[in-house]
Amino acid sequence: MLSKRLLYVIFMPVFLLLSISLLAQDRVVTGKVTDSKDGTPVVGASVQPKGSTTGTSTSTDGSFRISVPSGINTLVVSSAEFERQEINITDKTTIDVSLVASTAGLSEVVVIGYGTARKKDLTGSVGSVSEKDFNKGTYTSADQLIQGKVAGVQITNNSGQPGGATSVKIRGNSAITGSGQPLYVVDGVPLDGRSPRPGAQDFGFGGSNPASNPLNFLNPSDIASVDVLKDASATAIYGSRAAYGVVLITTKKGKTGQTKIDFGASVGFSSVMRKIDILDAGQFRQALTYYGLSNTNDKGGNSDAFDEITQTGLVQNYNVGISGGNENAKYRFSLGALDQEGIVRKTGIKKYTADFSGQFKFLESKKLGLDLNIIPTHYTEDLAPISNNGGAEGSMIGQALQWNPTLPLKVKRANGADSLVNVGGTSIINPLGLSEAFNDQAKVTTILASISPYYKFTSWLEYRFLYSINYGTGTRRASIAPDINVAAFQGKGGAQIGQNELSTQQFTHTLNFNKEIANNLNLTAVAGFEYLNYSNKGFSLNAQGNTIPGGFGNFGLDYTNYIQYGNTTNRGINSFVDPSYELKSYFARAAFNYQDKYLVTGTFRADGSTKFGKNNKYGYFPSFALAWVLTKEDFFQIDFVNSLKIRGGWGKTGNQEFPSGAAQARYGLNGSGTTGSITQLNNENLDLKWQADRQFNIGLDITVLKNKISATVDYFNKRTTDLLFPSAPPQPAAPGAPIKWINLPGKIDNKGVEASVNAAIINQKDMSWDFGVNATFLKNNVSELLTPAGADIIIPTGTLSGQGSTGATVQQIRNGIPINGFVTREFLGFDKATGQANYTEDGNVFYYLGNPNPTTLLGLSTTFRYQKLTLTVNMNGAFGHKIYNETLNNIINVGSIKRGRNIALSVYENPVKESFANRVTNSSRFLEKGNYLKMTNATFSYNIGTLGKTFSGVNLYVTGQNLFVITKFSGFDPEVNVDKNVNGVPSVGIEYAPYPSARTITLGVNFSL
Amino acid sequence: MTQKLISIIILFSILLLSCTKLDEKLRGNLTAEQVGAGGGGGNVDALLKGVYNNMRGPFQGNEGVYALWEVTTDALLVPTRGPDWDDNGVFTQLHGLTFTGEHLFNRNLFNDLNGVVFAATEILRFNPTAQQAAEARFLRAMVSFMLYDGWDQLPYREPGASALEAPKVRLGAEALEYIMSELIAIIPDLPVGPNTKANKNAAKVLLMKCYLNKGTFANRAAPTFDAADMQKVITLADEVLAGGYTFSANYFDNFAPANTSIGKENIWVAENIGGVESGGIRSRYHSTLHYNQPPGGWNGFSTTTDFYNKFEPNDVRKGVAYPANDGDHPNPGNRVNVGFLAGQQYSLVTGEPLLSGDGKPGAPPLNYTPEVALIETGDNLEVTGVRVYKYAVDWQNEGTDLSDNDFVYFRLADVMLMKAEALVRTNAAAAALPIVNAIRANRGVTPLASVTLDNLLDERGRELYMEGWRRQDLIRFGKFLGPRQLKPQESDPKYLLFPISNQQIAANPNLVQNPGY
Repeated sequence: MLSKRLLYVIFMPVFLLLSISLLAQDRVVTGKVTDSKDGTPVVGASVQPKGSTTGTSTSTDGSFRISVPSGINTLVVSSAEFERQEINITDKTTIDVSLVASTAGLSEVVVIGYGTARKKDLTGSVGSVSEKDFNKGTYTSADQLIQGKVAGVQITNNSGQPGGATSVKIRGNSAITGSGQPLYVVDGVPLDGRSPRPGAQDFGFGGSNPASNPLNFLNPSDIASVDVLKDASATAIYGSRAAYGVVLITTKKGKTGQTKIDFGASVGFSSVMRKIDILDAGQFRQALTYYGLSNTNDKGGNSDAFDEITQTGLVQNYNVGISGGNENAKYRFSLGALDQEGIVRKTGIKKYTADFSGQFKFLESKKLGLDLNIIPTHYTEDLAPISNNGGAEGSMIGQALQWNPTLPLKVKRANGADSLVNVGGTSIINPLGLSEAFNDQAKVTTILASISPYYKFTSWLEYRFLYSINYGTGTRRASIAPDINVAAFQGKGGAQIGQNELSTQQFTHTLNFNKEIANNLNLTAVAGFEYLNYSNKGFSLNAQGNTIPGGFGNFGLDYTNYIQYGNTTNRGINSFVDPSYELKSYFARAAFNYQDKYLVTGTFRADGSTKFGKNNKYGYFPSFALAWVLTKEDFFQIDFVNSLKIRGGWGKTGNQEFPSGAAQARYGLNGSGTTGSITQLNNENLDLKWQADRQFNIGLDITVLKNKISATVDYFNKRTTDLLFPSAPPQPAAPGAPIKWINLPGKIDNKGVEASVNAAIINQKDMSWDFGVNATFLKNNVSELLTPAGADIIIPTGTLSGQGSTGATVQQIRNGIPINGFVTREFLGFDKATGQANYTEDGNVFYYLGNPNPTTLLGLSTTFRYQKLTLTVNMNGAFGHKIYNETLNNIINVGSIKRGRNIALSVYENPVKESFANRVTNSSRFLEKGNYLKMTNATFSYNIGTLGKTFSGVNLYVTGQNLFVITKFSGFDPEVNVDKNVNGVPSVGIEYAPYPSARTITLGVNFSL
Repeated sequence: MTQKLISIIILFSILLLSCTKLDEKLRGNLTAEQVGAGGGGGNVDALLKGVYNNMRGPFQGNEGVYALWEVTTDALLVPTRGPDWDDNGVFTQLHGLTFTGEHLFNRNLFNDLNGVVFAATEILRFNPTAQQAAEARFLRAMVSFMLYDGWDQLPYREPGASALEAPKVRLGAEALEYIMSELIAIIPDLPVGPNTKANKNAAKVLLMKCYLNKGTFANRAAPTFDAADMQKVITLADEVLAGGYTFSANYFDNFAPANTSIGKENIWVAENIGGVESGGIRSRYHSTLHYNQPPGGWNGFSTTTDFYNKFEPNDVRKGVAYPANDGDHPNPGNRVNVGFLAGQQYSLVTGEPLLSGDGKPGAPPLNYTPEVALIETGDNLEVTGVRVYKYAVDWQNEGTDLSDNDFVYFRLADVMLMKAEALVRTNAAAAALPIVNAIRANRGVTPLASVTLDNLLDERGRELYMEGWRRQDLIRFGKFLGPRQLKPQESDPKYLLFPISNQQIAANPNLVQNPGY
């Protein structure tokens, strides 16, 4: 048995070490640690005899006292945000240490997979963002904190829904299936990547809501840093889940020193950032005349439906953290409460979080330690009927855009009460009425707990075990009242209850080795074994109300409180458990460092997965990287260059983001009359395996001008092969939607250059100015996507769902164009005489007409401080891509006004009067430039500092998020990605009446006790 | 000591975990072994029910056989009405015969029908009873017949064959031979009834269709009719007609919500149980009715003027005022509400005329005009085209989307007309005349003086419209490619077959694209 033999190889050294015991005689060293800039004491700095497992930290006046084992003549002094120093204490008992601030950040410790590394020792490409550089403002999830902060990383808020999901693409897009999201790892615990929030039921306007963000369970104020592993030499240690990059999230931990209480409170207001231009009542009246329509649709009023369904949302956020401890027991406990009202009526997220972490050391020798981390979270999402795939009836945003602006949404009845206008009969739905009639609430409770005991055999060998459980359960209750004219539910109403349970268990054993194995040659190594077990299950209930007396009655209760009252012949029940998903992995990394000059890293991971076909149970993922620090060479004599490192790496990673059970022939059990039916769900593929990525990376890190300016440039070349794809099996095959998961031939190449520059332009006591910019230049291409017979494979996606566009798709994954390229009719303008659109070849031939993937990404950030005032501005932008405006195509097109609905202003202002009979069809007319530059957030803060004897670190601030966006895109927000997948093949860059983006202004205060 | 203890704990816990096998457990689903463990009977019933359910989509929805076998003919079209029904050109391509291997419905239907082939074949490896096996093989023969008619190629797998292997393909005559031998083999094991399940007479009707079309399938551009085959059609027809079928009291009873009991002509139907389980049969009326015409529609499917004009004024098949199955639609004006809907439409509740547009006072009347174009460009684009449906609205179950109307596969009049056609094609037109006139008499139209191929095709059109046979009939009568009202040009003979979808050409190297595509 291979695995057993491997284990013996790995753990043989353990036995060898058992016989080693150390004898020691101690002496005492005292001293003080200060900041080199102004001589103030550095509190909580770590002081450790080099190579020892024990240490101490400085007290409030910066002083320390430490016993040093004989034979050790070096003390290591380190503190966050300062350069680490090694002090020679030969024949000394008192030392004073002056620490230099690490402006260039090269001494920063970054989290890499299964360990940490000094930034200057990195051989791979890692983007690291610590708390002080996070985006400022109110965010619901951790990924939003680093939007625009890391070169090569594109983070798109898919919609403006509070708690909504983001699309995170690291070094381009290569997902022809699944989410294409990176692997998230929180304090060593890899996440499932899905949210436990149950899916939506189809109440007649599409059954798909914008997804919930799987990172919602974290409180952003509990996060200390986010590290993004980008190239394969960094990610390969995560093997078959690493192809889309790895994002490592580290939560805050207690620090030695006195117990400290940190408070944060903020209150803000959100409003719609940007509206879509439609006709107002006056323009609508003119338009009726202009289009020669009867004035029956001039209802005489003046309404703005979009205003009626949107609101100013109140955002409140409170956090408290208690932390402290000593060298042997550190802890941090925090509580957070977020109440964010959405900018659409009856939406929002309420979130309550806690985080407890502790680091403990035991035994006299302090060799045994224990790290604990528990994060329980509960949040409630209120959702509006805004769907990704609303058809003829649209969804609420579309209905609001279409609402006749001369028709009031509500009228006063004789008794003075408001009454909602119901157009009735037709598919014109009063969006305010729908909002009133519709309730949809999801409650999600999660707990992430990990416990990690470790034992230091010697100063250079440590064994660590990590057990974690990540459990989440979500309940969703939705209902619709019978008085709204949504066809399928009018007069009846409906209710739905769904519940989901996600859980992940992890067992990880690692052996860490860190030793100078020869003169000036240091080896840092880790070897490990890991087992992961994921599960997902749930059920749903749905019912329609009774036709007599109509719905669920008027008891003033939520229908989901008594769903059994509904019509007994029209119910649905369903339960499921996903097939098992387990991973068994072996991994190792060795990093050699010779004189801090030559760095070599090799990693390897073997991943076995239950999801793979029987013939391919294990995948193997090696990587290799080198770095050379030129500035350490004697010949390097350029004075203004403080450090210069060249890196190169190569590695293989994989992706196994396909459903469990995909390799097997499976039969599903369905309800069907009195017999039940069994149908095959999936076609077998014993060869199914991971999607393979190989990437090489060449990078350069440089700091110049006394470390004031640091820059990193990387060239990457990522090739994705063995593309996982839910293929149509050769017929005959199991009926219905079932597909056969296969590894398609074909290559997706993402090549590019990413660069970031950070400059401390001014760094004085009274004034400082930092400026950071990062840019990414990307090129994507699909090739060799061929059948065995050599024919091109074309994978359509980006399905449109509006009226007149059923089944139409506008994107393709095919050879010679970027992934998800827009392929549609070529619009040539309008025929002035007929008002009909002209297309190349009459629209019978489709062409590649646009790339939805940005070719340039930009992130800007700057902080300017003058005495106690600080201004921080963060911006992000994307360029070179197109967005498909399906809102214009299918919702506010010219035909709408003929049916008494509103149209886009651009349609009315079109110099050619467009014919009503101009068919609604997809074409390049709706492809718009997606270029944008957005002020992600700007913060103005006043650092009061210490107030009396009680308050310290008092800071008042005002933050604006999404203050403006510069773009020519005519939808709500060019930062958009409505899910328009076809059979799991994701779409990119389509707008379809999404939840609009919010602009938020927040006032806040932070202080400590 | 501590270190030893710790090391032992570590090793033990790792070894414990490393014994985990990476076997995937299905939990909520079943493996083939688990399905088979139910033993011949129980689970096979559920599997067989699954196959019957798999037949619903392709036959009852408006994007399957209905689209490919009717919209490609003079009987049915779905005009692009400004914002509606362009759907990337799927319907206009069907009616104008301009579709390609990328056509969505063409791809989906080929796949859906083959899905039935697969599921029915799979049943055979789970120890079915003789009757269960015969039912499964009949359903497989039925969809194979449609596949053969449409694409001329029948890919197949043996029961339990690996899904990784490219299926072999039966082509042309071999395919028909196979279907016919299957039918002959299973008839003894099929039950006599009920007509909601595969039955002996249903198999005989399908066998009749095989014989009748045999010479057409052999050469679709120039069909031939072998006398012996025609004699088989006549013999089989006589066997079926002895089965006790009679004309229903009302022609539309055969399609009504209660047709399980009152549809006396139906030989084989797909059972729909109102409010409980049903195929997409309600799309037949929703897809054609205007938005403002209860129970509300999608304002699409229409017939051509030429086809509409084939009916005499008093032909009951042209449409009747059919009693609603609830008390809320008394139809005071006694307006036609099933069949062809032409001219002004009225409320079935109040008898008031209905309006198009937004349906509010001042809006234009809801007046279906016979004139219609493939792509409508006029102001009246909402109301062009006579509307057509045969399945009367199931008002009782309208709210549930689960209509009670059973879907009709085979019907008495089809058998009679096939027999008449076989007689005409064997120079016995005189013997065909009473058969055709019997039908006509029941439908309220004057008897024909003689039966010719031309008036027989028209009679089939009038009797069997929207039942999924028009394309096959036009091809067999040599009229499919010719110019017609909304397709002025003679079409390329390649359109006598549908293209194999590009997706399937890519998936199975044994499939060969049909000539011309």
